[in-house]
Amino acid sequence: MTESIEAYLVKLKQELAGSDPAITQDALADAEEHLRNALEQVPEPEKDGSEAEALIPIIERYGSPEEIASAYREIETLTQPALAELKPTVEKPFLNRFFSIITDARAWGALLYLILSMITGIVYFTWAITGLSLSLSLLVLIIGLPFTALFLLSVRSIALVEGRIVEALLGVRMPRRPFFTNRQAGWWEQVKALFLEKRTWTAMTYMVLQLPLGMIYFTVFITLIALSLGFIVNPLLFGSPNAPVINFGGQAYYVTPELTPIVVAAGLILLLSTMHLAKFVGRQHGMIAKALLVGSHRGYEDSIEGIRVRDSNSMEDPMEMKEQAKNEIEERPPLFAVILAIAIFVVVIGITLFFFLTSS
Amino acid sequence: MEGIKATKKFEKEMKSGTASLVLLSVLAKAKDPMYGYLIAKQIEAGSEGTSMIKQGALYPVLRSLESSGLLESQVEPSTSGPPRRYYEITELGRKSLLEWMDIWGKIRDFVEASLQGVSHD
Repeated sequence: MTESIEAYLVKLKQELAGSDPAITQDALADAEEHLRNALEQVPEPEKDGSEAEALIPIIERYGSPEEIASAYREIETLTQPALAELKPTVEKPFLNRFFSIITDARAWGALLYLILSMITGIVYFTWAITGLSLSLSLLVLIIGLPFTALFLLSVRSIALVEGRIVEALLGVRMPRRPFFTNRQAGWWEQVKALFLEKRTWTAMTYMVLQLPLGMIYFTVFITLIALSLGFIVNPLLFGSPNAPVINFGGQAYYVTPELTPIVVAAGLILLLSTMHLAKFVGRQHGMIAKALLVGSHRGYEDSIEGIRVRDSNSMEDPMEMKEQAKNEIEERPPLFAVILAIAIFVVVIGITLFFFLTSS
Repeated sequence: MEGIKATKKFEKEMKSGTASLVLLSVLAKAKDPMYGYLIAKQIEAGSEGTSMIKQGALYPVLRSLESSGLLESQVEPSTSGPPRRYYEITELGRKSLLEWMDIWGKIRDFVEASLQGVSHD
């Protein structure tokens, strides 16, 4: 028997163990919304009994945690997140894969995200540091505690918003619903949970980390894009003998007309490689975001003490489903991207050396 | 034992396909956006207590329909309890529903025709 909505949610969470934390968060939000609405509709005379009794028919109709967990897992394997990449059935040739990056929505999304991360990084960092230092200094006053609680709440909301951005642009599955909180607990318990949950603090770490990361992303990618566009456009626009291809250390470097096509081609390769790099870095950043913004829900279990949870009997095939869900989230090793990242730097260094050697 | 397992599997597969169709039709008939609990209630009322699908299993289908662009949703706070997510059918959803009804009609006729002559004894 399920004693309360909270106990049901804990069981549901256990059933979903091993699947994507983002699915778990959505499933918990849906279940909580439904069960609370259903409980509210129970007519007054019937409410005399305990909540546990009123919940029996409601859960009977809603479905057991086992059934609901398998329903979410099943649907998720069919639904791809925005911009999700469909795994190619046949491996395309290397050159084909290299050039097709230009039509890859994920690469463009990642590039946009990495350039924008400079701005979001500044905003997050400022917010986190200002909030944290104000909270700490105000703690000696009576206003300190509510202020800190409000600040921590804002961190959580920002985590959800950043998650939406990450899912849209980087294609990593993130929560679509707010974090589940135990509304039955008193306000003091809720405030305490806010402080004790690991995720509040990892989200804040992410906000601080976003600034240095954003600066690096922005600098590297703007430089690479500018360099490659310069190589492509400069000789074509101004004619190679008239304008220098590159100005470096107070020296202007010119290219002879015969070499112009090579420079243009090098620029093109550099641009495409930059997009491969963006896609790779974007995926890595998505993993960082997921680890720090979603993480595990362990904090939640700690926050509801005293709810005894019986081990649920396993159904016909939940193990199989769990295994399947696990395989779904596993990422392919991005070997291709690593090779490309190395190739980019070889190309950049090669071109720079080329200009040094031919300038005199 | 094997027979029970096979029946369960068949039931599951049948339900997962029809749930989307049922949900779209409920929302196509609705005048205002509806939240999950109301939708589940309506389906239950329409089927006179013989509901085939667990209410909780409707939510992941709603979200998958939304991510396909057939539904739109909006979270609104409620006076009591957690905020509710209100779902509304999109133009694409209405168009798809018409096509799906067509497909459903064809499948129903086809299956009915195939089942003719199979008797219980």
